[in-house]
Amino acid sequence: MGDWTGVLRLDLEERLGKTVAKNVYFQGALKVMRPVYHDDSGQVCYYILNPGGGYLDGDRYHLQISLEKQARLTLTTQSATKVYKTPYSYAYQETEIFLKAGSYLEYFPDPLIAYQDARYKQKNIIRMEKGATLLYSDIITPGWSPNGKRFSYDKVQLINEIYLDDELVSLDHIKLHPAKQHMEALGFMEGYSHLGSMMVVGEQMTPELLDRLYYALNPKTDAYDVGFSLLPVEGFTLRVLANSTQIIERIFADCHQMICEEWFGTRPSFLRKY
Amino acid sequence: MTDHTLSLFQLCDSNFPTGAFSHSYGLESYIQEDQVHDQATFSEWLHVYLNEQLVYSDGLASFLVYEALENQDLQKVWKVDRMLTVQNLPRETREGTQRMGERMLNLVETLYEVPILSQYKKRIKEKQSFGHPAIIFTMIGHHLCVPKSTTTLYYLYSTVSSLVQNAVRAIPLGQTAGQKIIQEFQGELVDATEKIQSLDDEDFGIISPGLELSQMKHERVNIRIFMS
Repeated sequence: MGDWTGVLRLDLEERLGKTVAKNVYFQGALKVMRPVYHDDSGQVCYYILNPGGGYLDGDRYHLQISLEKQARLTLTTQSATKVYKTPYSYAYQETEIFLKAGSYLEYFPDPLIAYQDARYKQKNIIRMEKGATLLYSDIITPGWSPNGKRFSYDKVQLINEIYLDDELVSLDHIKLHPAKQHMEALGFMEGYSHLGSMMVVGEQMTPELLDRLYYALNPKTDAYDVGFSLLPVEGFTLRVLANSTQIIERIFADCHQMICEEWFGTRPSFLRKY
Repeated sequence: MTDHTLSLFQLCDSNFPTGAFSHSYGLESYIQEDQVHDQATFSEWLHVYLNEQLVYSDGLASFLVYEALENQDLQKVWKVDRMLTVQNLPRETREGTQRMGERMLNLVETLYEVPILSQYKKRIKEKQSFGHPAIIFTMIGHHLCVPKSTTTLYYLYSTVSSLVQNAVRAIPLGQTAGQKIIQEFQGELVDATEKIQSLDDEDFGIISPGLELSQMKHERVNIRIFMS
């Protein structure tokens, strides 16, 4: 398993009210830019880069993120993750995240764009202690294809496992397989092309907050469709089907803002991507 | 056919009171949006529900639990119970299934004296396990020495036949249409069971976005005849 195309390791801790790096390591086709402090809260922001410009046949990426007690991190990517055709072996990314009590992670990578004949598998394993907070999102989008087909990628598989104090509390497993499935049929994408998922786990979560999010975001529109539901522990899942990345990103941003205001009395910083 | 198979039939009967008649697993959302409105559209929904959700959740769980019982690997049984519950992200279907599991466990306990059932019940009471009809059904199948794939097949059959009964009431469809669907699905159930034998832990809990969304959206439906 040591044969990685790119490796990234980021260990952060809180020192005098500021989140700083304890250990930053990257190798191959993954790196992070210099940390950014958007405000005086002490929360740090890291941008992940894929200098290769995209994921190719058989590529394998490994990320490990650790937050010590009270550390606060915004983690995102510099641009979309593009997966190109993988004729021989699927591209794979595995991320392990460790969150100590009192730490806070918001991990909002840019969308995944899966091009024609792309196969991609991603596994996120998140191990949290009670009292840690996680906000996570991902967006699956179909890349442009020469024949104009809406779903020209072969397969995209995303697995999210969340453990709270070593107990599995959420298992999210999406496998979109246009090469074998009829994506336009009932029950799959319901006429939409983009799928967004957001997961939030934190002790502050209440059913009332979910109700407020629901009433704020429930559509009276054909532009998107959303589903919200509480997890078996304090937290929730949000799914969005839409036809554009922008619509899903706006919904996630609204959610993010409502959560930050409600839980921390703060407003999220704008993430600059250029 | 052995008497043991007949004993497992009892659990497949739609009169077996587990509460399955009050759960639609998102079907009601499709009926309300008029996407499912007749025999053909219901068959389409059932096909997707069976092959894109049930196979990777209840079906695979049944297979894995039976295997674990053969190996006397109880830790694996409890692990599958947890995976099966937490992969069910829509709260309403997750909690509804848990209630069905509890009800079914109380009932089968009066019919069979099997140590693992009492252990399961104890774990649920102590909040170490959740309880799921697929797992209880499989425990009985294993206890009765009904083969592994037959146990899974019958479990899938019992689920599908309850769903058809629910569709007959809710859409509504005629009883004859309902029986035609059940007959039509026999081949699909055999294929689904065969497919399950080729799956492993890495395939566990795959869902189809639209189906899941319909289950989440059902939580917000005001007028309803089903609990999920």
